[in-house]
Amino acid sequence: MPAATELRGSHGKAAGPVLTKDFGTADLYKLAVYEKIGGYQAWRKALTTMQPAEVTGEVKASGLRGRGGAGFPTGTKWGFLPPPDGGPRYVVVNADESEPGTAKDRYLMENHPHQLVEGILIACYAIQAHHAWIYIRGEYDLQHDLVAAAIAEARTAGYLGEQPLGTEFPIDIHLYRGHGAYICGEETALLESLEGKRAQPRSRPPFPAVKGAWGRPTLLNNVETLSTLPWIISNGGAAYAKFGTEKSPGTRLFTVSGDVQRPGNYEMELGKPFSHLINDLAGGPFPGHSIKVWWPGGCSAPVLTGEMLETPSDMESLAAIGSMGGSGGVIVADDRRCVVRCAYRLLQFYAHESCGKCTPCRVGGNWAVRTYERVLAGEGTAADLATFDRIQTGLAAGRCLCGLGDSAGWVIQWTMERFRDEYEEHILRHTCSVEAAARA
Amino acid sequence: MTLSDHTLKEIRELPPKYPHIRSAVMPALDLVQEELGMLTQEAMTQVAQALQVDPGYVEGVATFYSLFHLEPVGKHHLYVCNNLSCQLRGAEELLTHIKESIGVSEYGQVSADGLFSVEPVECLGACEYAPMLRADHRFHYDLTPAKIDTLLKEWRGDREGKKARKEAHPRAGSH
Repeated sequence: MPAATELRGSHGKAAGPVLTKDFGTADLYKLAVYEKIGGYQAWRKALTTMQPAEVTGEVKASGLRGRGGAGFPTGTKWGFLPPPDGGPRYVVVNADESEPGTAKDRYLMENHPHQLVEGILIACYAIQAHHAWIYIRGEYDLQHDLVAAAIAEARTAGYLGEQPLGTEFPIDIHLYRGHGAYICGEETALLESLEGKRAQPRSRPPFPAVKGAWGRPTLLNNVETLSTLPWIISNGGAAYAKFGTEKSPGTRLFTVSGDVQRPGNYEMELGKPFSHLINDLAGGPFPGHSIKVWWPGGCSAPVLTGEMLETPSDMESLAAIGSMGGSGGVIVADDRRCVVRCAYRLLQFYAHESCGKCTPCRVGGNWAVRTYERVLAGEGTAADLATFDRIQTGLAAGRCLCGLGDSAGWVIQWTMERFRDEYEEHILRHTCSVEAAARA
Repeated sequence: MTLSDHTLKEIRELPPKYPHIRSAVMPALDLVQEELGMLTQEAMTQVAQALQVDPGYVEGVATFYSLFHLEPVGKHHLYVCNNLSCQLRGAEELLTHIKESIGVSEYGQVSADGLFSVEPVECLGACEYAPMLRADHRFHYDLTPAKIDTLLKEWRGDREGKKARKEAHPRAGSH
């Protein structure tokens, strides 16, 4: 299907320098094409000329931070695994992309599956794991098939299997399909699901590095994080660290969606302002409209306003204004959109996806949805402003085992913080001037 | 509805692929859903027996995940994303249009001819092509009511029902 589908985002002449540098090459998903542009040379270099600790050293030197959401330094995470004890240990690939507004892992898997496979092999060698499991969301059918085909091609060509590149370091990569649960993006819930259970997050410690999949030491990394590794091993960690800022080195693949003229997946150097991503790369708002509100890193990253578009895209600059880099999914809404209605849609999402294990999240999400419904129906009372405050403080501040409850709370907290007048208009005057103007 | 011997045999062959037998439960339920279109109580009990796990455990897993159907669905079940990125691009209008076109008043209700059902779902990860939907293991992009009409017409002509997964992706099966 994507063979006939237009690539939207970085590719061809507009490709980025690392992850998407080869995007637009015809049939990039085929092994022969990937080999022609230098594919699996990084794997050969790592496996046949470097010690595992040297591979980890390069990744540490690159400063690469996890691209799944938390932004934790990748090399440091690898260092948390205890030394091999002879028993199994696993690399688990988080391909359960489901943060609203985020489509970049899909873009990487369906267009460049071998880059991911090569990255997985490098990670396996670095932490001395002989098995990798890719946990891919169940709705990604085509992507599952393309990654499975890439693994099969790489096995036939001798890059993995019993004796990869003639060495005595057997590696196998397995795929496991998810079945529709946002919570599986959270790493311990993902592990529960991989083990065949209801996906409810685990209490930590123990951390997955010590006791992960099937009770064994496990490294969990996101698709984009792993897809970056071939470039780092080929060019060196220091070369990667030249991109981006000191604390947020490198590039990342952003998805821009919503009210922009050219939605797509764009690779951009970290630290460049979001105005470059949203206006220059994604085409900016539609004529006659302006950007009112945007989420910089999936809907779980606290919301920002149109006046904040010059914010640099590195994680520190976002943290400084109360938000975060999150998943890199940038959702843009223009001046026709009612923020209260947007927040309502997002709270429906969190309420639906709560796994039910922790009470604040299980109860708070649904309570928020009912409150939004009453307010949007014009039945709000002055007490509802306090009700929203009470719900969001109950959800936030780490009262739950994972971040889902916090994220739900942040949507309420930050939309109220930045657009309090809209909430007051709905609750106290039972009108919405934004939607009235859009209809006029 | 109960499972065919063929599917039961496939289910019994699953466990060695995983470090623990429980990891075979969801792949087994996939096989059930492929054959029956949904998970029936009888079939879940058969899965539990085949994998030697507790029937309550199987049901616990089945009820947790959105992609498992515990009620009948149409031959073509339409998963329409209406999370924020798709909603901003007109997903609600599409959902209303689909319900009217297939003649149902509720999400999850099966059309009178048994061909269709529709449900709004959370983000499907194809936001640059919003609004979009998933049906028969395929994504459909840049949707408009007119495009929905074309798809429904195509599916009404496809009386054989769901295409096999392999046929849905000619590119993936080509090498």
